[in-house]
Amino acid sequence: MSLRLKYQTILTQLAPAGAVGVSLALGAAAPAVASEQPSGAQPSATAKEGVSERLAAVRDAVTALDMTKADAAKTDGRLAWGNFGWGGGWGWPNWNNWHNWPNWRNWWRNW
Amino acid sequence: MGDSMPRIELLVVQPTPFCNIDCRYCYLADRTNKSVVADATLQNLFGQVFASGWAKDGLSVVWHAGEPMVLPIAFYRRAFAMIEGLKPEGLMLSHSFQTNGTLIDDAWCDFIAETHLSIGVSVDGPRHFHDRNRVTRSGRGTFDKTIAGIRRLKSHGVPFHVISVLTKESLAAPREMFDFYLAEGIDHVCFNVEESEGDHRSESFAEAGIEDAYYDFLSEFWRLSAANPGKISFIREIDDAQRNVFRPRDTGIHNQLATPFAITSMDWTGNIATFSPELLGLKNRDYDDFVLGNVNRDRLEDLAARPLLARMAGDIDAGIALCREHCEYFSVCGGGEPVNKLFENGSFATAETVFCRMTKMRATDLVLDRLERLPDFVQAGAAASHSMPTVL
Repeated sequence: MSLRLKYQTILTQLAPAGAVGVSLALGAAAPAVASEQPSGAQPSATAKEGVSERLAAVRDAVTALDMTKADAAKTDGRLAWGNFGWGGGWGWPNWNNWHNWPNWRNWWRNW
Repeated sequence: MGDSMPRIELLVVQPTPFCNIDCRYCYLADRTNKSVVADATLQNLFGQVFASGWAKDGLSVVWHAGEPMVLPIAFYRRAFAMIEGLKPEGLMLSHSFQTNGTLIDDAWCDFIAETHLSIGVSVDGPRHFHDRNRVTRSGRGTFDKTIAGIRRLKSHGVPFHVISVLTKESLAAPREMFDFYLAEGIDHVCFNVEESEGDHRSESFAEAGIEDAYYDFLSEFWRLSAANPGKISFIREIDDAQRNVFRPRDTGIHNQLATPFAITSMDWTGNIATFSPELLGLKNRDYDDFVLGNVNRDRLEDLAARPLLARMAGDIDAGIALCREHCEYFSVCGGGEPVNKLFENGSFATAETVFCRMTKMRATDLVLDRLERLPDFVQAGAAASHSMPTVL
């Protein structure tokens, strides 16, 4: 299975939970005990791919998920860009702010 | 200036360089100076910012770089009224304080609520972590006064977040940090790391294994938060990393810290700087102490044409080009923080720093690792034994 497909499968299952649910699910998916996954170790076979490839694959998956949702909305006769969790409320706009102030106005916290 | 017009998004204003405490890791060299910004200087700053049109998309104002609450409420009442009088109609503007919390009393709480002031309190966790570095000039810990301030905010129902500076000791204690926040009812947390800036050299950065310690801290803190839903509603480092990983293809990243005037800083004398706010107040011969000009003498528009700005921007851009070319994580950070490159590597025109390895790379690793682990985690039926949220 390609990286993109793998991520798309995971994200398709996660997306209905919304940003809070996604964060809870990912937060819970921790090693059972600290020794199970030393911090320096890579956790899965996927990790042998470079970080930039993994990031690109995640974003391809997010884009594909958005497009799938858009198609579904068009079929239903309801165009709801901006209501889509990923493109509208998840990762955009994308800022790298000063760490001594979390500049809330620009932050990703509309959930 | 058309499309090339600068956009000020964050304005950092130093009302006074003075701070009533003397944290051991502080980078502000002038923190015993009790000078106060003049009303005329504030008027020049805001008058020029609004007239320039550089802030027409909205503006966040942070009063910082000295303890803002050492000045009386009357100072801010006057300043806010003056700013409101100058502000173009319809422009969104918000005021914020980053404070050590030791001076918060009922009157401050009333003022904060009345003006919708955003508040960030600096607290480094339980007493034995906090008092190790956040001390008075006589060396006494400030924990009791900071906690009293936080509890007062809570009792008045004033929302706030905290910024905690992590050291090698607190990095090893995520459970203790988590329990501390829960016990104090703190639900919005931001973690800074003890950095090398100005005259301060970070001991933490010199520690072997510090990056793995940071990863482990975030990992465990995130797990604890997920296992106790609704207790900690915002962990900046985790939310930031997720936001930077889970975004559609072809969306770029905007690095405020490397964009001229996106973050603009003014010291109490009216000196103006941009890029990383920490730069203003630091001495540097190569970059004329990073001062582009002074609002009491210069037009803001003229500062954009200063050779110093072009030189700094050129060096910062050269560093970003190196990041783009060599760093696997470029797409989550957009080229890093100029101040860390300068003080860790000796030049803006450099790439990787300890700061970015910790705060950008390892946080990104954590999100990717969790995402890739999730199917196995669910399949293994680990959900029940790990308080897996029922979202899948």
